[in-house]
Amino acid sequence: MISPVTQQRGSDQVCFADVHRLLALFAQGLAGRYLHLKLVEPKDAPRGIARMTEEPSIFLPAQIRNFATAQHNLGAYRIAVLHQIGYWVEGTADFDLHHFFAKSSRPVLLRRIFFAVEDLRIDTAIRRRYPGAHADLERVLAHALANRSAISLMPSLPALIEALVQFSLGAPRAALVAGDSSGLLDGLLDAAAAVQSMDADVHDSARVSLAICAQLEYLGSANEAEPPAPAFANTTAAVDGKPDGDFDPGPDDLEHGAALALEFRGDTASDKAFWRRSSRPFATSTREPAPAGGAMTEDNTGHPTLPVRPPVAAVRPREIAGPRSFLYDEWDYHRQTYLAAWCRVFEHRLRGEEFGFIEDVRRRHSTLAHHVRRQFAFIKPQSWRRVRRTSDGDELELDGLIEAVIDRRTGHASDSHLYVRRDRGLRNVAAAFLVDMSASTDFALPGSATVAKPADAAAQAAQSGLYLYGGHDMPEPVFAPRRRVIDVSKDALALMCDALQALGDSYAIYGFSGDGRDNVEFHVAKDFADKLSRKTWGALAAMQPRRSTRMGAAIRHALGKLARETAGIKVMIIVSDGYPEDHDYGTDRTDREYGIQDTARALWEVERAGITDFCVTIDPAGHDYLRRMCKETRYLVIDDVTALPQELTKIYRTLTAR
Amino acid sequence: MRGPIEVPMNRSTLGTQNNSSRLTQEPWYLPLADEVRLFEAAYEARLPVLLKGPTGCGKTRFIEHMAWRLYRQIDSPRRGLEVPLITVACHEDLSATDLVGRYLLSGDQTVWMDGPLTRAVRSGAICYLDEVVEARKDTTVVVHSLTDHRRVLPIEKTGELLDAHSDFLLVISYNPGYQSVLKDLKPSTRQRFVSLEFSYPGIDIEATIIAHESGVDPALALRLAVVGEKVRNLREHGFEEGVSTRLLVYAAQLAAGGIEPRRACDVAIARAVTDDAEVQKSIAAIVDVLLP
Repeated sequence: MISPVTQQRGSDQVCFADVHRLLALFAQGLAGRYLHLKLVEPKDAPRGIARMTEEPSIFLPAQIRNFATAQHNLGAYRIAVLHQIGYWVEGTADFDLHHFFAKSSRPVLLRRIFFAVEDLRIDTAIRRRYPGAHADLERVLAHALANRSAISLMPSLPALIEALVQFSLGAPRAALVAGDSSGLLDGLLDAAAAVQSMDADVHDSARVSLAICAQLEYLGSANEAEPPAPAFANTTAAVDGKPDGDFDPGPDDLEHGAALALEFRGDTASDKAFWRRSSRPFATSTREPAPAGGAMTEDNTGHPTLPVRPPVAAVRPREIAGPRSFLYDEWDYHRQTYLAAWCRVFEHRLRGEEFGFIEDVRRRHSTLAHHVRRQFAFIKPQSWRRVRRTSDGDELELDGLIEAVIDRRTGHASDSHLYVRRDRGLRNVAAAFLVDMSASTDFALPGSATVAKPADAAAQAAQSGLYLYGGHDMPEPVFAPRRRVIDVSKDALALMCDALQALGDSYAIYGFSGDGRDNVEFHVAKDFADKLSRKTWGALAAMQPRRSTRMGAAIRHALGKLARETAGIKVMIIVSDGYPEDHDYGTDRTDREYGIQDTARALWEVERAGITDFCVTIDPAGHDYLRRMCKETRYLVIDDVTALPQELTKIYRTLTAR
Repeated sequence: MRGPIEVPMNRSTLGTQNNSSRLTQEPWYLPLADEVRLFEAAYEARLPVLLKGPTGCGKTRFIEHMAWRLYRQIDSPRRGLEVPLITVACHEDLSATDLVGRYLLSGDQTVWMDGPLTRAVRSGAICYLDEVVEARKDTTVVVHSLTDHRRVLPIEKTGELLDAHSDFLLVISYNPGYQSVLKDLKPSTRQRFVSLEFSYPGIDIEATIIAHESGVDPALALRLAVVGEKVRNLREHGFEEGVSTRLLVYAAQLAAGGIEPRRACDVAIARAVTDDAEVQKSIAAIVDVLLP
């Protein structure tokens, strides 16, 4: 069960990174919903803001190496997950803790007591619900107990609280009571033990906590003059008793209190906010995405919770019509749900005046253009197919022949189409190319500005080496404009168009960019229904770097277009230069994972619609995120961007030669 | 005189080898809701029935049980029918001819052979087309005329227009889960059927089913039902339908046969529902904590 990565580290420790997915699935299965697994922050890290999250989360340590074997350390992770799931399953999450604590005159003390009692209830429930986890739980509790401070050295009030915590960890009751000098502990433990009943719920924990708290308050008032023992000033006493005798600490102590919480119990004390149901101002949808082409809603549907309808372009009078827009769901991986009608995609027609673009491309890539055409010419012979029931052909078809004989014998008209013929099958392919037009595609290629562009025959001669002998008589070399990532993408697509035209495949070329979820740009250079013309070349040439890379919505829009095609083989090829990003792609702009997960989901929708997807990226770091977005066989990272045209040709051949 | 020609069974013919059931014993079925009463009412009115639900949730067992109730109970006027239920497992090569029948060569003669649908129409049996959307589209043509007021089966090859027996009922099943994208029932077809929707049962009922079908003790059956519920929470991770009741019964049967329950769950559940190694491990972990 332990990954090779963990084993290579040469110890029995188990690292969070290695078991993250395993535990996430484990938690989702048992909790019935996706729970975000997060690392517990180091104790010296600033606390508060980063921890106050509205996502349903489980907090786990970066590694566990407290136990002798990797299996036991993994078991400790599982107990941590089970314990924190318990807050959901056993009803803690539905209890308004904020209100409960706020009503108390000693909120910090009450919280401390409440979680000791509630954790006892949760662990009891774990024993009941998950009998197979019993051994791991006992091991983890014993370890936690062994690391607690000795009660005998504490003042009476912290000692009682610590005794309660240790009781929740499984310390023998008799031993705890024997060391109690206040005479209160026996009664407190009686009260706490009541939550171990099968019928006990969070309200029982709350009632017991209030009762215990009242007892301790009484004791605290009586002991106000008692100075705290110095040995505990930085531990339990910092939370449960202040030097001035006020045992309800301030906010700083409250934050520090989290550091004292038991690791396997998830350091949850300061994070109850995440239990409350989110009040994000948008509707979420737990439904499956609509079938291909059905995830869009009409522009003017208004409320986002309206049912998703098949794609209908915005209905606007022609005279005032701007670009058509469509609404798409977006996948929120934190919640494992779709955000209904979350992104608005504007469809723009690309128009350009550079009609001679293709001639320029052919000239600059004359060898490559020839190579691409030749490669595509090889595709045709692969598509021979046997056509049955033809009127003439290479061989007789046995089934048809038998049926014809039977028909004749029974006096019916027989079919004369009894042959099998080998036909060059018509290619039945529809391909959509989706090109990243984000701002980063404006980056100049290394050395591109120094590539000489032969202006005429003399310059060509110069470039071929004659200048070595021509000396100063040769003309000045003319430098080409700097070549950018987008220029190479455009060249590659132009060469593809040129070759695909000869092949007869149906294809479309789209670009995408955008600026926020309300303005995802989808640029159409050539749609499936468009014939290749001068306008196409002009549109292709007009592709320019624009803004961000909200890939998921663009893929869904392209999916809708591909889904409407009737071809037997459908392919979507995405060409990008980096990971998906947008300023509001997820709640946290630094969270790359949101965009990656949404894109992965969109690609899953593509695959589910029977369409083959493929991602090509020229980002050297592409492996890091592409392996999480696509299957291993469905992406390619190109180190040398100038190799894109050639690689694209290979990819297309492979994907469509079925 | 030559003997009869042996007709080789091709793929298509094999596909129509239906599971005729004489139903001599009552198939055990635990009702989930009011489906038994609804089916009986539909049968009384001779309304065609569509059974919808995920794989392994009990659709076939239900129709066997209903056929027994309608044809084999002591007071049934239809007890004399030898084969009350004709089941056809539909596949992508199944054509209307396979359902209706064909001429076969026998010596120098041609002999008409009724297909399973025609046999049911003539005899008054229930014809159950399992996973009907898998079949070729031409099958719906013959289904349509049987599912409205006409209740006739046109047999093109013989020129016959066969009136359905008064006891005949057509039942089809359909799994919307994995067939919704590429294959679906056309509205003109689905709106000819009363639709009974099935899903996996709740834990207590599923535990009862597991215990009955496998013979394991009720406590283990309950644990396996809980395993089923939890594993279904992962259905988006490579297996769209979750684990079926059938697989839970398989696991229980293995356990009843002496296999260690965790191992039984590993082979009957974790490895059966997914090829993703990490999901398999997660399922194994869930099983591990849930089983004693």
